Amino acid sequence: MTTTLAPTAGRAGSPAAPGPRRRRPRQTRLLFMLPAAVFLGVLSVYPLVTLVRMAFSKVTAATLNADWAFSGLDNFTAGLESGDTGAAVSRTLVFVVVVTVLGMGLGLGGAIALRTRGWWSGALLALMVFVWALPPVVNGSVWKFLLADTGLLNTVLLGTGLRDTPVPFLYDQHWALASVAFVNAFAVIPFNALVYRAALLTIEPEVFEAAQLDGASKAQQVRHIMVPSVRGTTLVLLILTLVYGFRSFDFIYVMTYGGPGTATNTLPFLGYLQAFVRYDYGLGAATSVIAVAGVLVLAALYARSIRNEEKHG
Amino acid sequence: MNEVKAGPVAIATKALLTLMYGVPILWILITSVKSSADVFDRASTFVFTPTLDAYANAITPTLWQAMGQSAVIAVGATALVLIVAVPAAYGLARTTGWLPTVGLGLLIVLQMMPQTANVIPLFQIFSSWRLLDTTAAVILADAALLVPFATLLLRPFFRAVPPQLEEASSIDGAGVLRTFWTVVLPVARNGVFTVGTLIFLLAWGEFLYAVNFYLTPGSYPLSALLAQQVSAFGIDWPGLMALAVLTSVPILVVFSLTYRQLKDGLTVGAVK
Repeated sequence: MTTTLAPTAGRAGSPAAPGPRRRRPRQTRLLFMLPAAVFLGVLSVYPLVTLVRMAFSKVTAATLNADWAFSGLDNFTAGLESGDTGAAVSRTLVFVVVVTVLGMGLGLGGAIALRTRGWWSGALLALMVFVWALPPVVNGSVWKFLLADTGLLNTVLLGTGLRDTPVPFLYDQHWALASVAFVNAFAVIPFNALVYRAALLTIEPEVFEAAQLDGASKAQQVRHIMVPSVRGTTLVLLILTLVYGFRSFDFIYVMTYGGPGTATNTLPFLGYLQAFVRYDYGLGAATSVIAVAGVLVLAALYARSIRNEEKHG
Repeated sequence: MNEVKAGPVAIATKALLTLMYGVPILWILITSVKSSADVFDRASTFVFTPTLDAYANAITPTLWQAMGQSAVIAVGATALVLIVAVPAAYGLARTTGWLPTVGLGLLIVLQMMPQTANVIPLFQIFSSWRLLDTTAAVILADAALLVPFATLLLRPFFRAVPPQLEEASSIDGAGVLRTFWTVVLPVARNGVFTVGTLIFLLAWGEFLYAVNFYLTPGSYPLSALLAQQVSAFGIDWPGLMALAVLTSVPILVVFSLTYRQLKDGLTVGAVK
């Protein structure tokens, strides 16, 4: 699931010019971070270090708890030479593009539509947030069913005579990747819409009134008022959505389990399969390290955009 | 608030979204009260005789056990996350300098990590600690996954607590710990509550750690049970949808009790 953070609420919280008198309690408060530091050190950072060590070692089911033989770049070259890694990277990119375009587009579109008052907007927003809060395995199983040969979508398509045969949403090479990406977008749209909507509601109503007096159309208001004023939000949401698509796992596991064949083996899923289905933990770790590297790049972009926002915002 | 009238485009968008989000929910409910024969009969797509067979078949001792397991995991993980993340968020909100900055950056990176990058090493680590096949392993892993997210989401709530309150308290002679406990925490309790709810929802739905760290399906929580059934071959759709409904009921309860705070909390904690 996405969602986040962003240190924006009230810079006022920290006094601008701390006198020497306040310095001591401040340092004391650093200690509040100690439990989290220890906890994450043991259960997040240490595992990541282990992952990197595994990526450069030969680790199989037999040697999992023994000493690992250092194997250099063997795992990485094995992954690349088999063609699995390269194919997974390009599939991941397609996947991320679909999730991001749909997730951002319908997120903003939904927010603009949901700005309106009334019971419909309120109920729809609640419905969307509820669906967002459902476990991915629930959403995934419903969509697996909706997209099945006997599912609702195919029933409607066949019933209206638009198609003679069911669309193989989850059984065809190309359809499967697009279908799972669509469901991932479906799961992230409510969050993006919610955050976008909050940003849109901060625009002064006078701005729209003035635009209307000047004869600006709805489309012009969207283009010249709304889109520019949510630029900062867009930047942050964009990176969150990219990361969300990039590391996606739950829906693939539930809906296609990487199939048909290898059609939905994205980078994180490939790493999982290599480790837990083929029991080649070293190879799986190497693939995961590549995925982690991708996330690190996105995280760096994210940190930069937040810093800029704090400066300008 | 802007007083906006919906134009045709807005109405079309809302109609599309209503379909997109309403139909799946409706479809789970409809399918869960169908017989298997009706599911595969195109003529009975919309017209059929409802039956509660799927629920009757789904509600078994296994289900109750799985639900209990889910509750233990979700409550345990939420408690552990809050114990660790609440002080950390407060510490981050009230300190400056390189250490909190590095901490913040690290949290952002950790919360973006693919879960698959953690499950591989954690499997080995838990195996060497002899924690595999225990509920503790799943709780610890879930908590580790969610602490960064919770801390980042909690921090703005602590920043919003007026520092003057703390100064007044410390002038009265209260120590930092006491001030935190009696002054800061009560003021920030809505935020803690919202984040706690979110963590509960996420931990309730998590299945990857459960599937891998329990060595037999006997002790799976609901989410893992559901995941296992969905990826199985030859699916019993009504049974599956009944299981999905039963998995969602606690979410519905938590959601309807906390929707307002959840909505506001998400937007505060999120971008702006």
